[in-house]
Amino acid sequence: MKKLFARAAARLARRYRTMSIQMVISLSFTAVAVTGMALMGLSLVWRFSAGAEELANENTRRVLSQVNMNLDSYLRRMMRVSDAMYYQVIKNTDLESERLEPGMELLYEENRDELVSIAVFDGQGALVAGTPLNALKAGADPASSDWYQAALDRMENLHFSAPHIQNLFEDPDYGYRWVVSLSRYVQLTRAGITYSGVLLVDMSFSGIEQVCRDVELTNGGYLYLTDAAGELIYHPRQQLIYAGLAAENNLAAAALADGTHQETFGGEERLVTVKTVGYTGWKLVGVVPRAGAGDDGGYTFLFGLSMLLFSAFLLAFLNFRISARISDPIRRLEQSVKELEAGAEQVVIREDGCYEVRRLAHSIASMVSTMRHLMDDIIRQEQQKRRSELEVLQSQINPHFLYNTLDSVIWMTEAGRYEEAIQMVTSLARLFRISLSRGDSLIPLTEELEHARHYMTIQQIRYRDKFSTRISAQPDTRQLYTLKLIVQPLLENAIYHGMAGCEEDGRITVTAKREGDDLVIDVSDNGTGMPPEVAKGLLDENRPQTRTSGSGIGVRNVHRRIRLTFGERYGLEVFSEPDEGTTVRIRLPLITAEDAARLQREDKP
Amino acid sequence: MKHTRNAVQLLVLFALGAAVVLSVVLPQLPFVARESEPVEITVILRQSNSSAWSNARLGMEQAAGSLRAELRLLTLTADNDADEQAQLMLYEAGRGADALVVVPAGCRLPDAGVPLVTLESVDPAARAAVCPDNEALGRALAAAALADDPAGEVLLVTCCPDSDGAARRLAAARDALEAAGVPVRQVDPGRDAGGLEALLSDADAAAALLLEPQATEAAAELKERLALPIALYGVGSTGRIAAWLEKEVLNASAVWSDFAAGYLAVERAVNAARGQACADELLEFVILRGEDIYAPDNQKLLFPVAS
Repeated sequence: MKKLFARAAARLARRYRTMSIQMVISLSFTAVAVTGMALMGLSLVWRFSAGAEELANENTRRVLSQVNMNLDSYLRRMMRVSDAMYYQVIKNTDLESERLEPGMELLYEENRDELVSIAVFDGQGALVAGTPLNALKAGADPASSDWYQAALDRMENLHFSAPHIQNLFEDPDYGYRWVVSLSRYVQLTRAGITYSGVLLVDMSFSGIEQVCRDVELTNGGYLYLTDAAGELIYHPRQQLIYAGLAAENNLAAAALADGTHQETFGGEERLVTVKTVGYTGWKLVGVVPRAGAGDDGGYTFLFGLSMLLFSAFLLAFLNFRISARISDPIRRLEQSVKELEAGAEQVVIREDGCYEVRRLAHSIASMVSTMRHLMDDIIRQEQQKRRSELEVLQSQINPHFLYNTLDSVIWMTEAGRYEEAIQMVTSLARLFRISLSRGDSLIPLTEELEHARHYMTIQQIRYRDKFSTRISAQPDTRQLYTLKLIVQPLLENAIYHGMAGCEEDGRITVTAKREGDDLVIDVSDNGTGMPPEVAKGLLDENRPQTRTSGSGIGVRNVHRRIRLTFGERYGLEVFSEPDEGTTVRIRLPLITAEDAARLQREDKP
Repeated sequence: MKHTRNAVQLLVLFALGAAVVLSVVLPQLPFVARESEPVEITVILRQSNSSAWSNARLGMEQAAGSLRAELRLLTLTADNDADEQAQLMLYEAGRGADALVVVPAGCRLPDAGVPLVTLESVDPAARAAVCPDNEALGRALAAAALADDPAGEVLLVTCCPDSDGAARRLAAARDALEAAGVPVRQVDPGRDAGGLEALLSDADAAAALLLEPQATEAAAELKERLALPIALYGVGSTGRIAAWLEKEVLNASAVWSDFAAGYLAVERAVNAARGQACADELLEFVILRGEDIYAPDNQKLLFPVAS
């Protein structure tokens, strides 16, 4: 048993761990409510049963008292008949000269509905007088009758017999009547001499039956009457009992004291209330089945069960609804957290439900927001760091370029080409000054183009005008700003790759213009060009990075810097055809001086 | 998960709802409601006078009252008219009686299409029969007659020779008497010349076994009126029969509780009408002589308390 209980508890615990909060709430609420309801119902039933039982007892006692009074009244009437017969008729009659019949018939006529006969017998049992029948049957022997013997044995008392068939008198109608005999000792007088006799008043059984009949007790109960020995005098199913088709616990009831008793008879629990009838020793017995055991017990039980089930149904429904209302916000929160775990970016965390759940949702939303900000900050910092690194790389002058330039200056100075040497040194100085730009990453477009122009001046001197350069900008672009040092790497690329096969007809052009909301800077050359697929691969992030002989990190770094600063929509595009030349297009947003100032502020830590 | 939860909730609600509906509807279901519905029982006797069945009628009325049945007691226009009884049965069944209780006048009753319970006799068409063991009763009567050592022929008398119950009693009594070497003669007062009076007055007849109450009352009345010396052994427990027993006009009578017979017959008819099982009931009987009738138990058997 213990093992079974432990196994069930373990199973319940396992099930509990996999249950949803709604199921736990609804099932536990329902179980507790139904248990409470059942306990309350049982308590009410118990109280109701106890009350009903007490009421039934009270009602039975009251009815029994009433029947007892009626029976007492009836028996007193019969005793008055007997008294009247004895004291007013017998005592005043001398049988020598007078007859008992006139007074006897008068009394009989007055009470004929309740009497069967009145008769007087002498001490030997011979009939002295009788009415309405006055001829004894041939074999009749009154002296041997119980009622006769009882009257002589206890002369001072009146005696009531058990019901029996009156068998003394000849009846031309073959009438066999059930009677209760009231007998007493009397003194008869004949010629002034008194002698013993017995007065018999046969009461009609129907008189007693009328007193007891139609008495209804609660819960289908009934009433019956026994003599002191338990012999049935009246029972609503008397003939059934006599025929052996029913049974009654009358012998046991006759032994009970007055009051209410419980008994089980014929498999039925019942309350038995006993009251002794005065003078006779008879017992009035009220029998009431215990509450709920009557004919309607099944229907009452079904009704109660129906009510209980309906209440359970209602409670279960309400509990499911309430638990759903309580748990739905938690479930939605759990779903949102799951989505977050799965990597979704746009997850809505609804803050609804009861206070604690709202607080929890708010905390989670706040935490997620903080995490997102932190993540954004980290990403931005990473981007910033990367961009800075790229910018640093970008701003570094290729040592070869510097060496070659200075070597060219020395060489020109030694050759007396002072003007060209001065121009070259001047351009180099301007180049450095713009590269520094007070540390700003955004510089006016004009400065960026100026930087390109100085770079090209130096390169043209070095390459002895192997190619021509044209740098132009539309007037509406002159107020705009750009990332610094993004044109020079492209020019470097054009010189080292595009102009490599040119003699003196090379041409490099830089044009800046507006295109919608964008600033477009095209760096074009008429060099050897390349196939479109190669041009396309230049910007491929996955392509291994190789250092070229240019002065900077390269085209791809420019592309990365732009995209890191302005987003994926911006950057470089390469258009090239073999033997046609190459155009690298820089696409930037339109950045005004205010925009540039704001961006510079944001970039600074 | 959510779908599973919803399914479990719906299942629980559906089960509870179904239980509520079932508990509300259950008392109204036909097979449950039938027990409380009143049924109509028609009782058809085989005589034109029902006075001999007054005790049985008390029992029938008590059973009808207890079992919520309506009772209809019918007699025939002529005693023991089997054809009329068969017509009455069919008519009552067609009129709407839920079951019939019949004291058969003939040897075979028709199938009226409703449950049938017989009194006194066993019939193949009946769902149940409530009667004493008729063969045993016949043998007991014969034994009572033999105990008085009849000095002559014993008449076997029945007013209803077609009645299965009477015929069985007669056959058993004849066998017992013949086995004891007593000469027997089966007589039918309705057919034999001179009727019952002539039969009972026959000097050769020492005793008569009267195998049903109608014959018993008729013979006892004749014997008392004509002061016939023949010993009579009858069947029945009417007031008149009790008086004749007491006066020793009847030497003995086979007696059983007519009240119980009536009660049990109607009880079985009601049960059969409600589709419940019902079985034959053999009634216990005793052979009473005049000196026995005031014994307390015999008083209860012979004289019903009208309550």
